Amino acid sequence: MTRPAPSPLRQDLFCALALALVFLCAPFPRLQAVIHVVLVLALAPRPGAALRTALWAAAGGWALEGAARLYPHMGGTPWADMTVALLAAWIAGRWPVESWRGWLLRLAGLLLLQTALVHGAVRLASGPHPWGTGWAWALATAPAWAWAVWHLLGPVAPPRRP
Amino acid sequence: MPPRVSNWGWTPAGRRRYLLILLWMGHGAWVLVGPRPGHLWSRLAGRLARPAEGLASRWEAWRTGRQDRARSLAQLQAENAALRAQVAALQMAEAQQAPRVAEAGEALKLLGLRQQIPLALVGARVIFSTRPEAFGGLILAGGRDRGFVPDQGVIAPGGVVGRLWSVGATQSKVLPADAPNASVGVMLARSRATGVLQGLGGGRALIRYLSNQEVVQVGEAVYTSGLDQVFPRGLLVGYVTDVEKGELELRVTVQLAAPLDRLHFVLVLPPQPPLEVQPPLLPQTAPAPASPRRTP
Repeated sequence: MTRPAPSPLRQDLFCALALALVFLCAPFPRLQAVIHVVLVLALAPRPGAALRTALWAAAGGWALEGAARLYPHMGGTPWADMTVALLAAWIAGRWPVESWRGWLLRLAGLLLLQTALVHGAVRLASGPHPWGTGWAWALATAPAWAWAVWHLLGPVAPPRRP
Repeated sequence: MPPRVSNWGWTPAGRRRYLLILLWMGHGAWVLVGPRPGHLWSRLAGRLARPAEGLASRWEAWRTGRQDRARSLAQLQAENAALRAQVAALQMAEAQQAPRVAEAGEALKLLGLRQQIPLALVGARVIFSTRPEAFGGLILAGGRDRGFVPDQGVIAPGGVVGRLWSVGATQSKVLPADAPNASVGVMLARSRATGVLQGLGGGRALIRYLSNQEVVQVGEAVYTSGLDQVFPRGLLVGYVTDVEKGELELRVTVQLAAPLDRLHFVLVLPPQPPLEVQPPLLPQTAPAPASPRRTP
């Protein structure tokens, strides 16, 4: 069973909302990290729309780093976000999710990968830094936001080919 | 079989692909460049983050203000509770002390009356009152043990109370002046006409044996005449409330001045006092020196 893909406009609206929340949640770093993960892993990836996926993911990464303002050289997070979002979109197009459990497990795996990639990219750009606990909060709350996105958008399906 | 369209040409899909590659590789190169050229971007990011920073500072200020308000409110509530407890305790103490305060005030008035009348007055506490009953009276603490004998006059700061009716070993009964079987020799303040006061009950009494020719006004004071040899002349008895002309005599109703139902202390006059007593003169005080003497 493959769920129908949401409309691009609807997905863009949710991405814009999440991006605004990333800025507005700057006083709450843990919540900001969770919303950033939701934007990059669950809302931005769309099979067949790689540029749109990369732009939303990069925007999310720049928003997070811009709001945090802790790194001496920024750019690591957007690059890692773009990479993971493109990978998520390719996986969604190649192997569409068919169940809620698979959706959750895929998000958890992508979250771990994104955490490691962001850490490595920021380390390359800015130097050694602590891991932080944002990823743990995102992982702990994954069932909640995964369930919300599952019902709001539905896991993205492969593009229809004529 | 249709010819395969290449995605790497200068087509919209190809341009999007080139842009994506440029975006991804540009970010990667920027990351690899390192932190040296990042100051300008950090400054820009700082400017972009000012709204969020302002929001955060406002949020923190609101939280701090709320905590302060909650703390001050809790302190005020605790202080209010403590003050309420203190007020309740003070009210309880005041209620407990109120009878003693009233008795003290009455005792002070008795003391002043005692200083005004140069007779051997004896103070006595009213321990019981049967006045609401028919032919009721006051029971005094003190009888023969204190030298009381029947027909001694009893007065209070308000006026005449009555006379001792029966004297026991340690207690005495007072026949109030408003009792039907009581009689007090009285005198009107203006006309100096004399009569006999006969009780009507309820704090009222009637003056008997006043001639129709006398002029009596309502509100006129009534004093003891001293002719009954129980009270000396000039003690306040009450005030005239009603005057009616009878066939032979005036019917003058008097409201007694002494609060017979609210007495705690009374003064007992000596038996058969003199007809008239003069209040003592006030002690003369030495004149003050014109100028105070300075001590070296």
